Parts: sequence; C-alpha cells; structure tokens
Amino acid sequence: MSVEGAVRSAKGPDGQGWALEVCDLTYRYPGGRLALDRVSFSVGAEECVGLLGPNGAGKSTLLLHLNGLLPEHFPKEPNIRVAGDPLTPKTLDAARQRVGLLFQDPDDQLISATVFEDVAFGPRQFGVEGGILRSLVSHCLGQVGLAGFEEREPHRLSHGEKRRVCLAGVLACKPSVLVLDEPTSDLDPRGRREFKTLLQSLPGAKIIATHDLELVVDLCSRVLILDEGKLVAEGAATTLLSNEELMLAHGLEKPHSLLHRHPHGRET
Amino acid sequence: MHTPELNPCPRPTALHRASPRLKLAVAFVFIGITVLMPRRPDPAYLAPAAVLLLLWPLCRMPLAYALRRLLMAELFILGVALLSLLTPAARPIFLSALIKSNLCVLTMLLLTWTTPFQEILQVLRRLRLPSVMLATLALMTRYVPVLAEESRRMQRARASRTFSPRRRLAWSTLAGVIGQLFIRSADRAERIYLAMCARGWK
Amino acid sequence: MHLPDGFLDAKTALLSTGAAAAGVGIALRQVRSSLPPRRLPMLGLAAAFVFAAQMLNFPVAGGTSGHLVGGVLTAVLLGPSAAVLVITCVLIVQCLMFADGGLTTLGANVFNMAIVSGCGGYFVFRFTQWLMRGQGTRATVFAAAFAGWFSTVLASISCAGQLALSKTVPWSIAFPAMANVHMLIGVGEGLATGLIVLAVLRSRPQLVAGAVPQAQESGLGFVSYGLLVSVGLVVFVAPFACPWPDGLEAVTKSLGFSERTVHPLLNAPLPDYRLPFIGSATVATVVAGLIGTVLAFVAAYVLARALVPALKTPKPK
Repeated sequence: MSVEGAVRSAKGPDGQGWALEVCDLTYRYPGGRLALDRVSFSVGAEECVGLLGPNGAGKSTLLLHLNGLLPEHFPKEPNIRVAGDPLTPKTLDAARQRVGLLFQDPDDQLISATVFEDVAFGPRQFGVEGGILRSLVSHCLGQVGLAGFEEREPHRLSHGEKRRVCLAGVLACKPSVLVLDEPTSDLDPRGRREFKTLLQSLPGAKIIATHDLELVVDLCSRVLILDEGKLVAEGAATTLLSNEELMLAHGLEKPHSLLHRHPHGRET
Repeated sequence: MHTPELNPCPRPTALHRASPRLKLAVAFVFIGITVLMPRRPDPAYLAPAAVLLLLWPLCRMPLAYALRRLLMAELFILGVALLSLLTPAARPIFLSALIKSNLCVLTMLLLTWTTPFQEILQVLRRLRLPSVMLATLALMTRYVPVLAEESRRMQRARASRTFSPRRRLAWSTLAGVIGQLFIRSADRAERIYLAMCARGWK
Repeated sequence: MHLPDGFLDAKTALLSTGAAAAGVGIALRQVRSSLPPRRLPMLGLAAAFVFAAQMLNFPVAGGTSGHLVGGVLTAVLLGPSAAVLVITCVLIVQCLMFADGGLTTLGANVFNMAIVSGCGGYFVFRFTQWLMRGQGTRATVFAAAFAGWFSTVLASISCAGQLALSKTVPWSIAFPAMANVHMLIGVGEGLATGLIVLAVLRSRPQLVAGAVPQAQESGLGFVSYGLLVSVGLVVFVAPFACPWPDGLEAVTKSLGFSERTVHPLLNAPLPDYRLPFIGSATVATVVAGLIGTVLAFVAAYVLARALVPALKTPKPK
C-alpha cells in the first residue's frame, strides 16, 4: 500500500494500453508551496478509479493537470501521457478532447444562454457544425436523461439538471477519459442515485475525485489516496476502504456499506 | 430597482414571434420620428400614440407592468421637465418633452416585452458588434441571476448576525457584501476560463 | 442619470453618440492589445457584478434608499478601458432589456457614465493617488472615494451641457440643478465606492487594478482618453461655462436661446448651496462646486484615515 515505483508495465489491467499515465508529477503553487509531490499512477481504458483525500490534499490541482490546464509552463519531460501520447503544448488540443473534465460547480461550466448552446460549445471548438452538431447535442442530452432540454435556460434548471447538462457538454467532445471533480456534492439522495446510475452506463476510463465514499464503493475498482500532495496509497477499492486505520489516518473513514463486510467477501 | 427576472414574457403572441431585427429597426425609426417631431404639443403626437395603443393589446403587456416601468422613467422625465417649467416660455417644451419621452418609453417597453434579450443579442451579432462586447453581454445576462442569488445569500447571512439597524453599520455591511461579491465574481471568472479551455477554447 | 428619449435634439444626440463610439473604440483597442485572454470572462462577470450591485439598496435619510451607480468603482477595480466596456454593456442591457434610458440617448448616456464618469473618474483617482504620494491602502481608498464624488458631479455637468445644447433646458437652470443635486448624490456614491474598494483591498488587494503599480495600458491610450473627455466637455459645457455674467448673456444671445431672465432665488433647489451676494445661479453653482470639491476632498481624506489605521510595525516574536 505504499507508493508504487515509477516503472509501469506497458499494458493496462485488461491488456489494452493505459488510457492515462501520470509519472512523477510535481507542482508548486505560485507562492512556492508544494501542491503535488512526485505523483505517479495509471488508469486503464475501461477502469474507474476513485481519488480520495482530505480537503487541501491537492485533488483538484491534480485533476487540472490531467488535461493540461496546469501547469502554466510545461516541463521538458512530459509527466502525463494520454493514450500513450505525451502531453505537451503541441498536443494540448488533442489531449483536451480526449480527457473530459467535469468541474465541481456546474455554474462555472454552464456559460451559455441555452442548454443547446452550452452542450454545443465543446464540439464547436473542434469544428463540428450544422446538422451533425444538432444530432450530437440531442444524443448527448439523451445520454444524460435530459432529452428535449435544448431550449431551456441554465438558471432555471435544478442543481442536478445543471450537473447533467455539464456532463452532456463534456460527453459531446467524445472523450476517452472522464475526469470528475466531486460529481455528487450538493445533490440530494435521489439525484445522487440517478447520477451514479448514469456514470455506470458510460463507457471509457473514469477518474472520480470525491468525498462520497459510498459512490466509490459502488463504482470504482481501484482507489488512490492523496494527502498533502503525496500519493500515500493505491490499490483495490474494497481493500483500501476497509482499512479503517489507513482511512482515518488520511482524514477519511470506512464507508458504512463496508462496516459489516469482510474486505475479501462478496464484491458488488 | 430592476428585478433579476431577465425575461418577463410568458405567453408568446404574434408580435413575440415577429423578426427581432424588424422589431428593433421599427422601434428605432419610430423613436427617431417621435423625437424629431415639433417641440410643442402638436396634433401630430396623436399618430405615434395611436400606433402604440393599437399594438399594446396585440402583445398582451400587463398594465401593471407597464405602469411600474413608466413610473421609474417618470422620475427623471418629470425631474428634468420640471426644470424647464421654471421659465414660463419653456412650458410648451416641457409638455412636449413629457409626451414624447413617455411615448418613447412605451415603445421601448413594447419592444422589450415582445423580444427576449437573447434575440436582440443575435441582431447585435449580425450588426457586427465587436466580439468582446457580445461575449461580455452574453456572460453578463447568464450570470446576473447567479450573482444576485449569491448577494441575497450573503445579505441574509449578515442580517442574521446584525441586531441594530444603524445606518452606518448598514453601509459598511453592504459594502462588505458588494466587495465579497466582486471577489467571488473574479474567482468565478477564473474558473470559467479554465472550464472553457477544458472544452477546447482558445 | 439615464437620459430618456425626447430630451436631446438630433445634433446633440449624434455628437454624443459619436463621442461615445470613439471612446468605446479606444477601449476596445486597448482591451484587445493589453488584456490577456485569461481575463476576458472577467469583463462579463464584472458587468454582471455591476448590475447585481446596483440592485442592492443603501439606506439614506428618512426611509429612502439609494443605489450605487458604480462607474468609478468599476474603473478603480478593472482599469479604465475595461470599465468603459463593462459600463457600456450594462447600459445596453438596461436600455434594451428594461427600457431604462432612451435608445436615441444611449450614446449620450454611454458618454456621460462610461467615459466621463468611468474613465474620467479613473484619471481623477490616479491624480489624487499621486497627490497622496503613494498607492497604499489609505491613499487608494481616499482617492476612490473622492473620485466617486467628483466624477458623479462631472458626469452631471456633461449631462446638463447636453440638455442645454439641445435647448431643452437652459444652461442657467440645468447646470445649477444637476450639479447641486449630484453634489449631494455624489456623497453617497463616493462613500460607497471608498468602502467597497476598502473591502476588496482587505481581502484581495491584487484585484484592485488601481492599487497595482502598473503601466498595462499604453500611454497613447491615456492620451486618447484624456483628449476625448476634454473635447467632449468642451463641446457640451464650454459654450455655457462662462464665469462672467456679461459673458454668459452674450453667449446665450448669440446662440439664440428663447428664455432670457434668470431669477436666482427660484432656481437652485437648495438655497443653502448658494451664496446670497452672488447674482447669477451659474456663478453661484461654480463657487459652490469649488467649495464642495474642497469639502469632498477633506471628507474623503478623513474617511480614509478613519477606516484605514496607519501601518503598525509587526510585533516582535
């Protein structure tokens, strides 16, 4: 359960290449404080990985690196590979299309006047227009369960609906990796359940940074624990989550659904 | 002041469905003609008045809404017009300004009632308004309700800890809320930039 | 101070629209060249902020309340060019969404509130900061408060000039009325501006463009703005701003105004603002304005001193 070595096998867990590889990622805030300290991990093409850690651990900062929004100045040796291709200023556009990032506050991502315009924003940047765009938008809205919402205005939507519109907007870019920052925060229990079901239906690799431990139990096969910028643990979800000592040591806790379950017992 | 309700039209009529470019052009020409009319009360004023009164029921603008808005405009109109009352020779100018002004406000009310601002933005885009301003207008209309809600929440939080309604305290409290609102807006703008870049914006 | 339709004649409306377009053009060019793309969403959010801030009511005497206009505040927080664009957008939305302010007078309103009040206010702010020899918190708050008051009055004078040039209201009535009323209103605006700038400085000083020593905008931009504001004021105000009663009479005769005599005792809505031994209301208002300026200057200084304690030396550990 300690930090894995930086050497990784070339193939992912299911025999295909890794969807995302992070190697020795270090980042300092402009003030000098260390935000990420030699973080290394990989995510397989159909894996769902949970990213846990106390507040201030650097989860959001790490997520911003995954599609090149950080760092402000790229190092000569790229730390991140998307589907095998290194993330450099030249490959930024391709990386941003392949790695879809869902932000924590949907109001930060929903910038357009109508749902249609917002979902169309991403594909438009990549040159999609006309009839193809319209069918893509309605397909993505259907995927998130908001068919027919094209002409609705963002400020009239519920919080859960806004979240789903943001997800549709990210899906419209056809990413191969979905990165989600606290996707179920501020959702009521029904919204949470619906969103979880939605996420389960989506293909591709997923990285979910969250405090919602039950979501991790239900969706994630693997878990990464970040604390003070360091990756302190990595392993199978139920194994790590059942380790009460480890969880408490890093500002987390054992999820309720595992309280009475043996870590090597029945899997969900 | 203005409510954060940015689109007050609930039931579309034929006028609602008319081309926004046409409506804006007609409003502009109409106001231009009204303003250029003679500077003393003239029977010619009846023409625009009649047109407006004919159009009003067609777009089903509620009387209460129109009166409320007209009242807000009256404050300035009367204020300035009254100044010209102080010299007897200027009385016709006062009356003419009063009537013309109200006719123009009514025209604008009909326009804004039947034309959602998003459609007006489309017209402005076709008129080649600079992209910086179009983007600013679009973001502005999207985020005014968000910021209004934030400021309401902050005010409620502050009010729940305020026990004496002294004016001096109210001013510094309100200034604090507005200052915080600006800081949050600046932070949100940063996050919006990141979210736009994440979806490929350059 | 939103001028409705019907108060300006064609030539004044065209002149002020031209001036406004020139100012906005300068602002656009400055923003395109000096604003990093990262800051572009800030313009939209700042416009939303100004709009939302105008919805909040400041209690004034006797159950009435006023609200912030925010021209100088925007300029102090964002710099003059961004402020011009932001205020113009706010005015466009107010006109085309709420029918607040006329369509034909949009240009005049943009000139008065975005360029004279916003941009001109920024120059007053910077000048006052320079007078205070520093950009510390106290100097910034003081300069913002004074600039808030001064630019409100300045914008009202520009408005009065436009009304007079259109022959809607004679200058001898418009100027005293507008200037005096706005000397009062300006107190609230200046106070609110100072307090809000202080609140932002306390948490996030780097957000206040006016407090950051910078030369982001090109000198040419400043010169262009200065020229524009000066030319505008000259066109709208100078024909009337003759300090000598005889000169004023001569000017009004040559420009062919219909009204003639002025009864000082009737005109100024606030007799306290006039000095009884001076005849013409215009001169009285100018004198009152000068006195008001000094008073506002002192008041802003006292306010800043009261709000911002002198820098304390750090306690030794």
